[in-house]
Amino acid sequence: MSDLVIDADVGVVGAGPGGMAAATRLAAAGLSVAVLDEAPRAGGQIYRQPPVGASASVGIPEPPSHDQGHALIHEFERARLLSVHGATVWDARPGRLWFEHEGRSRLLRCERIVLSPGAYDRCIPFPGWTLPGVVTAGALQVMVRGFGVVPGQRALVAGSGPLLLPTVTALLGAGVEVVAALEASSRWRALRAAPGVIGNAARRREAVWYMKQLWRHGARLQWGWTVFACEGDGRVQRAIIGKVDADGRPRRGTARTIEVDVVGAGFGLVPSIELGLRLGARSRYRPERGGYCLVVDEEQRTAEPTVFAAGEICGVGGAEVAAAEGAVCASAILGELDGRAAAPEVLRAARAERRAADTMLRAFAPLPGLNELARPDTLVCRCEDVTRKQAQQAAEVHGDSMRAIKMGCRAGMGPCQARICGPSLQAMATGQNARVMDRPVVQVPLKAVRADTIRNAPEAC
Amino acid sequence: MSGRLTDADGRERVEFTFEGDAVSAYAGDTIAMALWAAQAAALRRSSSAGEPRGVLCNMGVCYECLVTVDGHNVRSCMTVVRAGMVVERGGRQ
Ligand SMILES: Cc1cc2nc3c(=O)[nH]c(=O)nc-3n(C[C@H](O)[C@H](O)[C@H](O)COP(=O)(O)OP(=O)(O)OC[C@H]3O[C@@H](n4cnc5c(N)ncnc54)[C@H](O)[C@@H]3O)c2cc1C
Ligand code: FES
Repeated sequence: MSDLVIDADVGVVGAGPGGMAAATRLAAAGLSVAVLDEAPRAGGQIYRQPPVGASASVGIPEPPSHDQGHALIHEFERARLLSVHGATVWDARPGRLWFEHEGRSRLLRCERIVLSPGAYDRCIPFPGWTLPGVVTAGALQVMVRGFGVVPGQRALVAGSGPLLLPTVTALLGAGVEVVAALEASSRWRALRAAPGVIGNAARRREAVWYMKQLWRHGARLQWGWTVFACEGDGRVQRAIIGKVDADGRPRRGTARTIEVDVVGAGFGLVPSIELGLRLGARSRYRPERGGYCLVVDEEQRTAEPTVFAAGEICGVGGAEVAAAEGAVCASAILGELDGRAAAPEVLRAARAERRAADTMLRAFAPLPGLNELARPDTLVCRCEDVTRKQAQQAAEVHGDSMRAIKMGCRAGMGPCQARICGPSLQAMATGQNARVMDRPVVQVPLKAVRADTIRNAPEAC
Repeated sequence: MSGRLTDADGRERVEFTFEGDAVSAYAGDTIAMALWAAQAAALRRSSSAGEPRGVLCNMGVCYECLVTVDGHNVRSCMTVVRAGMVVERGGRQ
């Protein structure tokens, strides 16, 4: 047994800005803290570090917000805590986190849990989106900034939301020709984001930095455009792009073809809430925050009182929100131990960041008309190879709940557990484009792990 | 064409095989990134149609990048290369 089981006062899932901010403060106050993260190094999605010894980030300019990232990582890596990397958490109970690490089945036992597992790219199916070379916008960032890999020579970036900017600038920095950068929202809709940017100094600086980068490279975002389809023999060679109306519905008459060898498509982010639901937290649908988000009280406590949550799991909001909420988790936990409330200034800072983020992201809430990009023969579920037509038939025969559709055609039953197809599956199957998906159903293992990891789980329940 | 940002990356080289072909990676690369840089974007065949699939999310969520290493299905975007690793294209789980 021995090192297969770890004991700590607090277990933290995720070493992104949320998890790092919480863990560093808790450790500084003298608690024993263990942090579990699937990635090889600390940083999370935005502050992802290149592999040890690599000079991969050289030459890729960084936005001003990354100063905060370097500071967080610096403090985190010097803090007296246990940070386990390459650790995939696949099941949890209050006080228990089961994880797979280097092929071994391990367990973290702790009094309290802080969840900060982040979010992932929202995919919207379109013809050809399964071709190799068509990836998410986030995947391209990871390639360039995380591994120093140049994704291709001629790229298309399409989707919606503020994350298109870091994707485009990473590509430009890597010397990739960005043939087109398409934002599905109209310029008018995007103007609604302005108060959230102008009213927040850090976001203002960030926006100006990105605009300058685009300008320097002679690049620009095309508003109200998106990718209609991708084509190629065995991998992507062409993309068909065109205009969309105010609801995101494709205007087929505007279609034109461009030659590309890589496509990054990202229509915002979806919070990773499964771990929270498994632990007894409640969730609520908030379109401006990316879909179902954990519900927390003002001290970031979930419905399960020993479980706290920070960052994108409570709704997409960016790194500043995540770090501020991580600080709240730490303050609340330390407060509980001392029999007092969390520090008011820490709560205030997190509330202000969250407000600014909500205002900004309202302008990029998912456009329902984009669900019309998929044709009847377009695959909607990539794990099980289910077409839109098959999903529609399943809904007609079995009913339009997520459960009925899954049972009828196996969509959403594969290893991604509907994380990729789920957000738009019901809308597509029922033809009601604005339809909100049913609350995600938690399956264990939360992430597909080896059969012997489950079999050999310490203290299996 | 994909490639590397800098050739003199500063990291050690690590050799492994994919479908029997030798691939040269940098220490710390994931299997998926080493293969992408080596122009091998198709990593598995899809479950019923047998279509080529490759990286989608590059962060461990989608399972489109499954390959086989020592008889185990692994996400190639989350698995760091080791010298001498024998990697085969992934199939159905
Ligand atoms: C690919 C990508 C790129 C992004 N780039 C930017 C950017 O350039 N600028 C910007 O402002 N925002 C960016 N974002 C948004 C970004 O996610 C947030 O701003 C910020 O990183 C959120 O912090 P967080 O702590 O909530 O989660 P994250 O930073 O996402 O950290 C979550 C961590 O949890 C780990 N994790 C998740 N599930 C498990 C599990 N089951 N077991 C073990 N570990 C797990 C992950 O490996 C990850 O390291 C990006 C998001 C993505 C997905
Ligand atoms: S590319 Fe999505 S899990 Fe590897």
